[in-house]
Amino acid sequence: MTETTADTIRTGDVVPTALEAAVTTTDHLRIGRAWLASGVLLLVVSLVAGLMVSAERMDLTGMAVFGDVDSLFRFWSAYRVGFVLLAVVPVFVGLATAVVPLQVGASSIVFPRAAALGFWVWVLGAVFTVAGFAIDGGLGTPGAVSRTDAVALTLLGLLMVIGGICCATVCILTTIVAGRTAGMDLSRVPLFTWSVLVAGSIWLVTLPVLAANAVLIYVDLTGRSAIAFGVEDTIWGQLSWAFSHPQVYAFALPLVGIAGDIVPVAARRRHGNHQALLVLTALIGVLSFGAYAQAAFDIGTPVREQAVFVVEAFLIVPLALLVLVGLVDVLRRGVGSRRTRMPAPLYLSVLSVFLLLDGMVLGALRAVAPLDLLERSTTGAQFTFTIGAALLAAIAGTLWWGDLIVGRVAPQGFGLASALAVAVGIVLVAVPDTISGFMGLADFTGGDRGGAGNPEAGVDVLNTVALVGSAHLLVGALGWLVTGVLRLRGARSLADPWGAHTLEWSTSSVKVTSESPLLDAAVEVGA
Amino acid sequence: MSSTTFSAAVPNRPRTLVVGSALATSGVLVFFGGLFALYFSRRADAMAWGMEWFPEGAIRLPPGGMNMATMALSAITMMWAVYSVINSDRIHSYLAMAITAVMGVAMLNQTVFYFNDIALPIDHSEATTFLFVIVGAHMAMVLVGVFWLGLLLLRALGGQDTSRNRDLVSAAALYWYAAVAVYMVIWLGIYIAK
Repeated sequence: MTETTADTIRTGDVVPTALEAAVTTTDHLRIGRAWLASGVLLLVVSLVAGLMVSAERMDLTGMAVFGDVDSLFRFWSAYRVGFVLLAVVPVFVGLATAVVPLQVGASSIVFPRAAALGFWVWVLGAVFTVAGFAIDGGLGTPGAVSRTDAVALTLLGLLMVIGGICCATVCILTTIVAGRTAGMDLSRVPLFTWSVLVAGSIWLVTLPVLAANAVLIYVDLTGRSAIAFGVEDTIWGQLSWAFSHPQVYAFALPLVGIAGDIVPVAARRRHGNHQALLVLTALIGVLSFGAYAQAAFDIGTPVREQAVFVVEAFLIVPLALLVLVGLVDVLRRGVGSRRTRMPAPLYLSVLSVFLLLDGMVLGALRAVAPLDLLERSTTGAQFTFTIGAALLAAIAGTLWWGDLIVGRVAPQGFGLASALAVAVGIVLVAVPDTISGFMGLADFTGGDRGGAGNPEAGVDVLNTVALVGSAHLLVGALGWLVTGVLRLRGARSLADPWGAHTLEWSTSSVKVTSESPLLDAAVEVGA
Repeated sequence: MSSTTFSAAVPNRPRTLVVGSALATSGVLVFFGGLFALYFSRRADAMAWGMEWFPEGAIRLPPGGMNMATMALSAITMMWAVYSVINSDRIHSYLAMAITAVMGVAMLNQTVFYFNDIALPIDHSEATTFLFVIVGAHMAMVLVGVFWLGLLLLRALGGQDTSRNRDLVSAAALYWYAAVAVYMVIWLGIYIAK
């Protein structure tokens, strides 16, 4: 008979300190919480940069906030990079790390140590990126006045951010592909899991291309003298494809899954056609592949004037419209049967799909050559609509699955108010930018009055509205942060607070304690 | 009355290590795909304008050819390693993995020697920047593969790489084949087409 010695038991009973637990954890819920918390904090930082840029646009010739065009450009690019790669995408990764394993009945994420590694690499990269922007680095400036070592630090940070996101994505995708419970084929997975599978696949085939761009720039920049890629005023042009149409849709895609999971449960009605929604999500994912739409491939006709870019821009709109129609149909059928109030995440998730659709319509308009909107502030408006929609869905997702991830209840009303502030902010920033774009306002208004369009025609008033919108966005993000903090102090949550009866609310997480890091064979239930 | 106890059924899941390795390797391949796409488009642009891409005589075929032969042979020895592990042939597993790793080191050594020999500065032209980035990134990929093989060898010596537990070897093989495939494009696109 095998006996268990006292020593063996004691090693399992050692209680780690909070820091040890945070750093060494392989619990997918803890890793998910770490992604979420860091993402929200860096969202606030990014939105502060956005607010400062909006304030500067009030009087471009004066440069009262930044003092010079190059600093303005640095913060302008930091806002876009930060909003996407340091905030929205990490929050989606956090939600997916926590929720997806439970939705597919896997109990834990596959490769939990690699998932933790991905998070820590991303955190370190985020710190480097923010530091690089803060110490006169960033991703190049029009006047080429940045410190070379600081630009290199920003690029290194960007590479680590991409590496961390890709590492975490591989773990999530492997969980979906190889960790599903028996009987759950891919056509039966919940929509959030499916949208993460599609979006994650697109991230995996586009973010490494962005990394390739960044490596080329880094090597050229830190060589003896930059000759092509590392020349400072060209850096942003090589990387900007990742922050505009169509690539931004790939970053926002999980919002379709969040809405798709919340709406039927809240409305107490099944989707009319689950398979059709899976196909639509996959098609949107395919059309959001944007790694080809970069200036480096402009040989002869610019990529953004080629047929594939234009067709893609128009084709994606009806697909998103069909998704919205499907969700509204579920809502319509469910409204009469529900006696209690609809929960806040329901409204927010449907609103996020509507805003995404707005961004896609604007993307289609940008592809119309006679309108000449490609380099106008409509680019920023489309970015705000799309990534803002993703942010709104992320808030809805945390309000919906937060009880599961944290185990405590959040004040839903406060969360709803924060999200509404974000929604108002998105509209107040994006709508004026859209109108300004038609009036000739450049995407980056680099201090010259000509680039600022026609002030007499009302662009200045629109910029004022956009400033108010930026403030709303920041207040909303702070409110979201406070909601999270209040949740930590909240009462213990119910096992299935929404009465969802879906797998994530009934599957227990397991803690991986294997001594073979690459195999993770042994698991200990509970913890 | 006699009773028979059956063990619980093991879920028939795809091999997670192989799936994870395939996904990670695909990310690496996309990275190189991005570099190659940029390389070939800029090269085509330069050619269209009648500009010189690499300096005359700077890129020589023999070193690239030797590296290609080394990588191609290492793909065969990697297959040998997988085959040996499947058949629980430990001696041949050690041999195959060790030879594959040595070939990887040899390829790295040849590349470093060649780059010292041609002495092309990194800032000579856009083409040389590409050359250093693509070949350097591939060297990093091979280095990771060599470390992975070293880990496998250690595990094999500990008796852990068996036919029932072969996923790590299969995953490493997948990665290694990708490294060979990438070098094939380097060989064709840089050393032959210049």
